[in-house]
Amino acid sequence: MKLAAPTATRVTYEQLRWMSACLVLALVVHATSLPVWLLATVAAAIAIRLALCARGYAAPSRALRIGVAVAAIAILFLQLHTFNGVAAGSALLSLVAGLKLFETESRRDLHVVALIVYFLCLAALLTSESFWLLAYLLTVSWLTSTTLLRLTHSPQANGWRRNARYAARIGAHALPLALVLWLFFPRFDGPLWRVPSGARGAETGLGDTMSPGDITDLALSDEIAFRVRFQGATPPAAERYWRGPVLHDFDGRTWGRSVAFRSTGPDLAPSGPGYDYVVSLEPNQHNWIFALDWPDRWNLSDAYLTSDGMLVRPALLSHPIDVSITSHTHVQPTAPLSDAMRRRDTRLPEQRNPRSRELAAQLRRAHPDDLGYVNAVLDIFRRQPFFYTLEPPPLGVNSIDEFLFDTRRGFCGHYASAFAALLRAAGIPTRVVTGYHGGTYNRFADYWILSQSDAHAWDEAWIEGRGWTRFDPTSAVAPGRVEPGLEGSLASGARLAGPWRRPLSWLSDARLQFDALRQLWRERILRFDQRSQERLLSSLGIPDPDGEKIAMVMGAGLALVFIWLTWQIRHEQRPDPKDPVLRAYGKLCRKLAAAGLARRPSEGAEDFARRVAIERPDLGARAGTLLRRYSRLRYGASRRPGAERWFIARVRAFKPRGILSAVKERGQG
Amino acid sequence: MARFRDTAIARIRAWSARRHGVDDLPVKIERRRIYIVPTWFGLMLTALLIAMLVAGLNYSSNLGIAFAFFMASTVLVAMHHCHRNLLGLTVDAKLEVDALAGADALFFFMLRNESAVDRRDVEVRLDTVVATRSVAIGCYEEVMLAVPVAHRGVSRWNQFELRTTYPFGWFRAWTYVQAPLTAFVAPAPGGNRPLPAVTAASGQAARSESRGEEDFAGLRSYTPGIPLKHMAWKTLARGGEAAVRVYSDLGARPEWLEWTSLEGLDTETRLSQLSRWIAESETGHQRPYGIRIPGVEIPPGRGPAHRWRCLRALACHGMPPT
Repeated sequence: MKLAAPTATRVTYEQLRWMSACLVLALVVHATSLPVWLLATVAAAIAIRLALCARGYAAPSRALRIGVAVAAIAILFLQLHTFNGVAAGSALLSLVAGLKLFETESRRDLHVVALIVYFLCLAALLTSESFWLLAYLLTVSWLTSTTLLRLTHSPQANGWRRNARYAARIGAHALPLALVLWLFFPRFDGPLWRVPSGARGAETGLGDTMSPGDITDLALSDEIAFRVRFQGATPPAAERYWRGPVLHDFDGRTWGRSVAFRSTGPDLAPSGPGYDYVVSLEPNQHNWIFALDWPDRWNLSDAYLTSDGMLVRPALLSHPIDVSITSHTHVQPTAPLSDAMRRRDTRLPEQRNPRSRELAAQLRRAHPDDLGYVNAVLDIFRRQPFFYTLEPPPLGVNSIDEFLFDTRRGFCGHYASAFAALLRAAGIPTRVVTGYHGGTYNRFADYWILSQSDAHAWDEAWIEGRGWTRFDPTSAVAPGRVEPGLEGSLASGARLAGPWRRPLSWLSDARLQFDALRQLWRERILRFDQRSQERLLSSLGIPDPDGEKIAMVMGAGLALVFIWLTWQIRHEQRPDPKDPVLRAYGKLCRKLAAAGLARRPSEGAEDFARRVAIERPDLGARAGTLLRRYSRLRYGASRRPGAERWFIARVRAFKPRGILSAVKERGQG
Repeated sequence: MARFRDTAIARIRAWSARRHGVDDLPVKIERRRIYIVPTWFGLMLTALLIAMLVAGLNYSSNLGIAFAFFMASTVLVAMHHCHRNLLGLTVDAKLEVDALAGADALFFFMLRNESAVDRRDVEVRLDTVVATRSVAIGCYEEVMLAVPVAHRGVSRWNQFELRTTYPFGWFRAWTYVQAPLTAFVAPAPGGNRPLPAVTAASGQAARSESRGEEDFAGLRSYTPGIPLKHMAWKTLARGGEAAVRVYSDLGARPEWLEWTSLEGLDTETRLSQLSRWIAESETGHQRPYGIRIPGVEIPPGRGPAHRWRCLRALACHGMPPT
């Protein structure tokens, strides 16, 4: 083990420690996506190097360093098979940073580590949309810049505070420039090249099957599914059904989703008013997009409509996305129901639910027409003692029979399921639709919040002449039979009092306000794109904005910011004009100038004093004393109290006496 | 690469010299004489920023783009601050210094900061010699550069450089101060000939031993360094202050160090011998000494100023006049 050579550029323990801290802070946000052995290696490298440095030793030998580096990078490649993509790239960078710190000997090495820290900060932001993460990483980069300021050659008296302030000031100067660049730099719609998608997260929200009790679990969650902002009119509450998975396959207990084909053509002709809105979806690891019945146009090029009216896209939703959709609440079918679909949506398991089949047969005999039959089924829910509850009794394999004849207590899933089974038993094509209904209006920012507790299930039945028609059997349950605590929810259109309408209104107001901020952050910052730039230019009063005009505005903005920056920096540099000593000095110089002795701009007080002594011996003593006193006040190490006042008073009293006599003498001579 | 770099630097220096002419010291560093280029780290960071921006655009990550732009802006602002670190600094220098060949010429520079911001890590460079200083608000710093000088003669530098990479080391700002710095390099003491006075009058040695009362000129107070044999021990013994006897003849008989007394030696050897004689005369005895070399005669005297005057004459011997 050799001792470190004491050179001028060798790092100190303190510098190494602070750069290590910055690296660790940047690695923290990547910790979950990095292999454990990699974190351990980096931590060990940092710890060993710090321990060596604290004892005054140099970095480990070159052979060891290279051996460790090659081995670690090889293992990483064997594990990941690629260094492309954010996760793999971050892993490689983290490793390289750790290894670099391991071999750090000079300040140059720490500069390299700093560059990697900056890049790790960025890599964390590529896949995140959190405001707090941005704030955290800006703080980390600020600390890193502060550490870079510490890598100076000359010793510094009062260290960290001053450096941190200076780094913050540079950051403050950078902000307006960054803002202009960010606002006006051109944006592209799609990615420049495909990148491997990140790890798959957990599925949330509605799944593509529905068993009794599934939606009940969701109803207790106040997690947000998506947010909707209507552009223009808002549809009435009775039309706000957000369509999710459409379920066809029933095994007597569970509804499942059969393979859905891409809709071949426009099966539905829109009628009635259209509504424009933007759905801001939270990642849920599903591939469907919740849209208002019935979606007509949308701005996602890879999304398509299935034959049963679901809006889906090929990729799973692993990042928050925003989709602009136009929907029509009323549609007319343009083609009759195909035989295949009719067969699929009238199928019931043969051996299950015999009592329900019996009931259906009875009702069908009384109501041969489809609409009459449907109303009769709804009447059952309306008139008989069915209850709406969040805690329904468990059901067995003949779930429909048990619910209709025994328990009669259920949640929306039970009603939708039983309704569909009864209609299918009568030969009416029926399917169960799951999705969200209602929602909470955020009056602070004019949008709707759909949380998991707004999950709902309803039915669609094919009525000849009307096509697929929506029926919501849950709403047939009389409000008087809603379980205590849930009252009011059905009548108002929103079925259930979510966490948003808890008794403490100030609390829910605060939550709504906070959520409004989140939504604004998402709409204004995260989804800022070329259209937003064009809108911004329009609001600046520039007509017909296009790329060229955006570029021109950016140029003008940059020029303005640069002028501001130059002015700011020059302004900072000027000595404080209110400094009384400086003002007195100015006065002294003016008095001497009036006596024919102007200080040259490059002349310091001491030099000036010498010249005065030579050119005007009569003034030399008094003026020289004052000038030297000024020099001592300004540049001297210690200042006696009262010295400044003495100087100011003397300058005020100072009169370059004998100007006339001096001129006279010169005239005579 | 290195050669290309050296040529480029020489070009910039020459261009800067033509552009600004000779500076009148002290000089205040103004805007148009400060040059600035990115360092290797600055270039690496620029490449990194482009990568950041492309990554941000590719992932359509507005936060990533924002961070990349924030870093890019920080770099641009750092450039301003690096430039500002030199701007308005007042610099002064001692233009002419004396030195001995084989030792260092000590140049002194003064950095004065009359602005309201600290100046950190300002390098003063002359040739390859560098010193780094920070100058706090309203303070000045004296900087000494020890430039090794190997050969006797007059060494000249037409400019010196102020340089800084503060704040982050991403940029290097520098300025050339066009001031002729001259080092008069006296020959290193050499040769082994004794002082001419000793050889010319070896008989006088006995006389100086038997220095009588008639030479005694009075007493003056003792200062360290005076030979103890001149101490007025009697005065001290009587309880008076420490004093030394002063002899009237010590100031009377000047010693001439002659070029012509060194016949048969080449020029540099002669100069070295003279340099040694000057050193010996200054330390060895109390008599004034003068030198006579072709074209120059310096009348006898004593003390550091006189010594350096003589040595400068030796340094300038045979050098083209400026």
